[in-house]
Amino acid sequence: MAGIKQSPWILHYDASSCNGCDIETLACLTPVFDVERLGVINTGNPKHADIFLVTGAVNEQSKDVIRNLYRQMPEPKVVVAIGACAATGGVFRECYNISGGVDSVIPVDVFVPGCAARPEAIIDGVVRALAVLEERQRDTAAAAGSMDQVLYLRAQKSNAPQILALQKAAYQSEAGIYGDEGLPALQQTLEELEDEFDRRPNREASSLGARETRKDPEKDRDHVVFLKAVVNGRIIGAVRGYEVDDTAYLSRVIVHPYFQGMGIGRRLTEEIEKAFPGVKRFEIFTGHRNERNLRQFRKLGYQEFKTEPFTPAITWIYLQKERP
Amino acid sequence: MTLVLALILVPIGAGLMLGCVRLDTLRKVVVGAVTLAVFCGTLALAARPTPVDSGVVPFNHHWLNLGMLLVEIGMGLYVIVVGVRSRRPLIVALMLAQGGLMLWFELTQGPRLEAAHDLFVDNFSLIMALINGVVGGGICLYALGYMREYHEVAHRDVPDRRPLFFALLFIFMGAMFGLVFANNLMWLFLFWEITTLCSFLLIGYTQTPEARRNALRALVMNLAGGLAFALAIVWFHDNADSIELQTLITSKQSLALVPAALLCFAGITKSAQLPFSSWLLGAMVAPTPVSALLHSSTMVKAGVYLVLRMAPAVTGTTVGLMVALVGGVTFVIGSMAAITTSEAKRVLAWSTVANLGLIVLCGGIGTGEAVWAGMLLIVFHAVAKCLLFLCVGVVEHKLHSRDIEAMSGLIVNLPRVAVMMLVGMAGMFLAPFGMLISKWAVLKAVVDASPLLSVFIVFGSSATLFFWVKWMGKLLEVVEPQRRIEEKLALGESIALYGLSAATFLACLFFPLISSRFIEPYVLSVYGQTASLGQGNLLIMTIMMIFVLLFPLSFVWYGRGVKVVDAYLGGANVRGGVGFTGSAGQVQEVNLHNYYFRGLLDEAGLCRCGVIGCSIVLAVMAAAALV
Amino acid sequence: MLIYLIAAPVVGGLLAGWDRRISARMQSRRGPPIFQPFYDVRKLWQKQSIVVRRSQNFYILFFLLLVIFTGALFFAGSDLLLVIFALTLAAIFFVLGAYKASSPYSFIGAERELILMMAYEPMILLTAIGMYMVTKSFYVHDIASHATLLVLALPGVFLGFLYTLEIKFRKSPFDLSSSHHAHQELVRGITTEFSGRALALIEIAHWYENVFLLGWVYLFFASSPLLGVAVSLLVFVLVILTDNVFARLKWQTALRSAWVVAAVLGFGNILVLSLLR
Repeated sequence: MAGIKQSPWILHYDASSCNGCDIETLACLTPVFDVERLGVINTGNPKHADIFLVTGAVNEQSKDVIRNLYRQMPEPKVVVAIGACAATGGVFRECYNISGGVDSVIPVDVFVPGCAARPEAIIDGVVRALAVLEERQRDTAAAAGSMDQVLYLRAQKSNAPQILALQKAAYQSEAGIYGDEGLPALQQTLEELEDEFDRRPNREASSLGARETRKDPEKDRDHVVFLKAVVNGRIIGAVRGYEVDDTAYLSRVIVHPYFQGMGIGRRLTEEIEKAFPGVKRFEIFTGHRNERNLRQFRKLGYQEFKTEPFTPAITWIYLQKERP
Repeated sequence: MTLVLALILVPIGAGLMLGCVRLDTLRKVVVGAVTLAVFCGTLALAARPTPVDSGVVPFNHHWLNLGMLLVEIGMGLYVIVVGVRSRRPLIVALMLAQGGLMLWFELTQGPRLEAAHDLFVDNFSLIMALINGVVGGGICLYALGYMREYHEVAHRDVPDRRPLFFALLFIFMGAMFGLVFANNLMWLFLFWEITTLCSFLLIGYTQTPEARRNALRALVMNLAGGLAFALAIVWFHDNADSIELQTLITSKQSLALVPAALLCFAGITKSAQLPFSSWLLGAMVAPTPVSALLHSSTMVKAGVYLVLRMAPAVTGTTVGLMVALVGGVTFVIGSMAAITTSEAKRVLAWSTVANLGLIVLCGGIGTGEAVWAGMLLIVFHAVAKCLLFLCVGVVEHKLHSRDIEAMSGLIVNLPRVAVMMLVGMAGMFLAPFGMLISKWAVLKAVVDASPLLSVFIVFGSSATLFFWVKWMGKLLEVVEPQRRIEEKLALGESIALYGLSAATFLACLFFPLISSRFIEPYVLSVYGQTASLGQGNLLIMTIMMIFVLLFPLSFVWYGRGVKVVDAYLGGANVRGGVGFTGSAGQVQEVNLHNYYFRGLLDEAGLCRCGVIGCSIVLAVMAAAALV
Repeated sequence: MLIYLIAAPVVGGLLAGWDRRISARMQSRRGPPIFQPFYDVRKLWQKQSIVVRRSQNFYILFFLLLVIFTGALFFAGSDLLLVIFALTLAAIFFVLGAYKASSPYSFIGAERELILMMAYEPMILLTAIGMYMVTKSFYVHDIASHATLLVLALPGVFLGFLYTLEIKFRKSPFDLSSSHHAHQELVRGITTEFSGRALALIEIAHWYENVFLLGWVYLFFASSPLLGVAVSLLVFVLVILTDNVFARLKWQTALRSAWVVAAVLGFGNILVLSLLR
């Protein structure tokens, strides 16, 4: 998309910064640096912004705000974390109220180091963010125009980072529905995800229920299936499942926000069902307020059979289907 | 002529009968039947090929006059009793003066008080009759369902005097017909006083101290107008030996000026212009059908009807200028006052006062163009304002509140009523609806006749913009998608509401027809020339109307493919935009409260300015008439 | 009129671009390229549509259509009063759209936009009346073909109109309801909850409106076209200068001052004209 590179509008948010980086950011608007000549406007409104500039480390109060603002920005958008604190937490990393850099809350595309980051660095960061944005937009636009070339392949462990990024992006809307009560999908780390390629994951343990014991990890490898949906080399959807006895447990049907509503989720579910030829029963679960998923699964023949409270705000609903 | 007589007498008769009917179903039948009859009667009258007519009443004049005299004496005595019992010497004094004057007049002049034509029909009366029959009929139907809910649900403490209520409504309707068809000034006066009395009784219907107080205030002011009316009749007969309206209008200006000034004064009090506006605002305590019928669509229109009739007699004189000034000042102050209040009926009352001021302005200017514009205003205002009052009545019952702030999100709660309210409000000020056409006509007339008066229109209309759009926005905003409130409307209410909404649209679409069929011939007959909107402009208006009508498609094509997120609340959204995290982590509700210009405009202060200003103007008018 | 329909957004966009450039130069900055507004609109067009209430963007579509309609009416030479009423209708759709968005910022923006409308309406009506009094016609093509320079008979009205123009261009000191480019007023005021295509449409509507307003300025000097164009452009620069020099007024002050100006300058001019007749 040619347009966005010439008209990047920013939203500037101070998470818990000492204001050093903020002053440097606003200095970019002054006559000395004058980013307006690049078309940059500092809008105070997420709905008008393309680039989300965040300074400062993330504390409890800023978490929700950052998520809210990020969610209210229209696609395509990028996030630039400015300064050491926004990148990793900076000198405040060990503090009791700091959960880390901005990427502990939302996916970040560009990190601008420094304490305080200099205006030249900030402008450079914004320009790189624009490049990322353009590339992203180009790929998505190209992919959207070539829907019949979606490939459904087995995912490898090397795909884990991409899948994790996809997972965090895709679950943003779920987080919105539940008001962010710490969805496990968003909390998963890269190590945990890579683990899932090798063995069955622990069933999501209810805070009120008991943990299931793990069987022999070695045998599990054959029974774990990870599928990805690929367009033009980019992973835009994924699903995973594992088999225990005669039941296949499917989970995390994720599709990139841009590609939702096009039947990719349904195809992924169907494909992974085919990947377990021997089982007699499929089980899948989702949050109780996710109407769209529930409808989708019902259309595919699943029926609810169990509910399990997970946290006060979220209840998992389990659905099952017998293989005909 | 028989049709005219029927239109006058049938409602009065029905009213008297309804006074005795206690059974609800019987009442519904009678009301429905009479309303339908009146409706058909007025349409038949209007559809006649040459509607202008004047005639003699086929009764024995002597007995008729005696009967009317007795009715007048009866009403006068009743009013005096009321005045004595409520310890209001002013009422007693005014009634004695007025009654005494008329009595002396009739007894001394006796047989010479003959009019060649007691009743007459011309295009202007037809329009007023149409409004009375159609709009008034609709209100009576509405009142059936409304008053049942009023007494059974909303206001259980008010004693149920529905027979009296409906009796008064129909007697009033008959009196209005009599008023617009009367050529004999004595008859006009009788019907005028009947409407005053009906208004007094209906305002005081709930019998609370506040209602009684407001009813008495209305009585005082209308009686003052009545006194002026009586003086006008006596003076005119003294100098011109006639008691006919048409003669008055077509007389030389030097002859007609004093009675015309007095009649304008009477019209000003009846249509609640400043300095007499307080009675109309106080009358809002009455149930909604009363407010709709008497105090926005019909009775107050009688006041401006009289002023517009007097237009040829006062045009170009200082008296006319003063009348126009009263109208203009009322328009501006009324519009500004409507901004300051959040009670729905009060806003509507001020808006009524303001729009009547605009019509009085036209009457005062008195040129053909102005009268044309004034008549257009009457038509459109009656329909739209009535619709609004009826909708507010329904909303009041459903929400148990008259506050505009409580109507937030009504488009989701009571969608049909909300849409009708929006139609009514659009009809009041928005292009291309009727009132805008009329306002445009007024502007043109004013600019041609005396451009300096345009300042009132210009400032007033910008004020009206503010309070209407503010209200429209309040209906449209949806802070949280709410449960629908039970939106069941009684049959009568539905007929009235849907009918009036359709009428708003139709009147606007067919206004060229209305103009050419009724208004222009009348103006032509009085002034010898007429006015109209150019052809090209009509085309443009039609295009705009099409635009506006296309708009509801938005609800069909409802934002496909959009992503719904919360409103921007600084990122501190909680529960999807309904609340936000405030300081110290407290959750605050989102509260959207309109601007009421506190600190800038003050209703009481505005009133005071208006009263003082207009009193001075009226004094000047009196002086100018007598000199 | 067809020229208007096609050329106005181009001209309007260029004017907006020049506006930002000149403002920047006044602030010792370089400023964006002149075609920046077009880049902005192109980018906005390709953004995802985000709304707070599903029907809110429809109001904006009608706002744009009616602004185009207004300008088309004006340049086709029709009745000036009708043009004003059409513009009011358009602006009301904009305001109602902001009300529909049901957010505190757009709500306050809408209320303030209404106050601004209330502030400028007397003056523009008085302008139309003044023009009528001199040319005896409300029709734009009659006014445009009038033999003498209108501004000579209507100096007060012209000055009052300029004051109101500042309001209509939504610039300081009257940018109460929303703000352009780098300013913020209560976040983005009336445009807060609009994004993507709706915002692009609002921008384009502003371009059409600005061209129409400058056209009206031209009307004061219609009998000598070159002078008219020159004055229009000069007025535009003056508007930008005022924007950069003054701070935002409170709404009470804005309303009062606009009405006082309308009463004194506008009405005064008409008073003088009617006395001279």
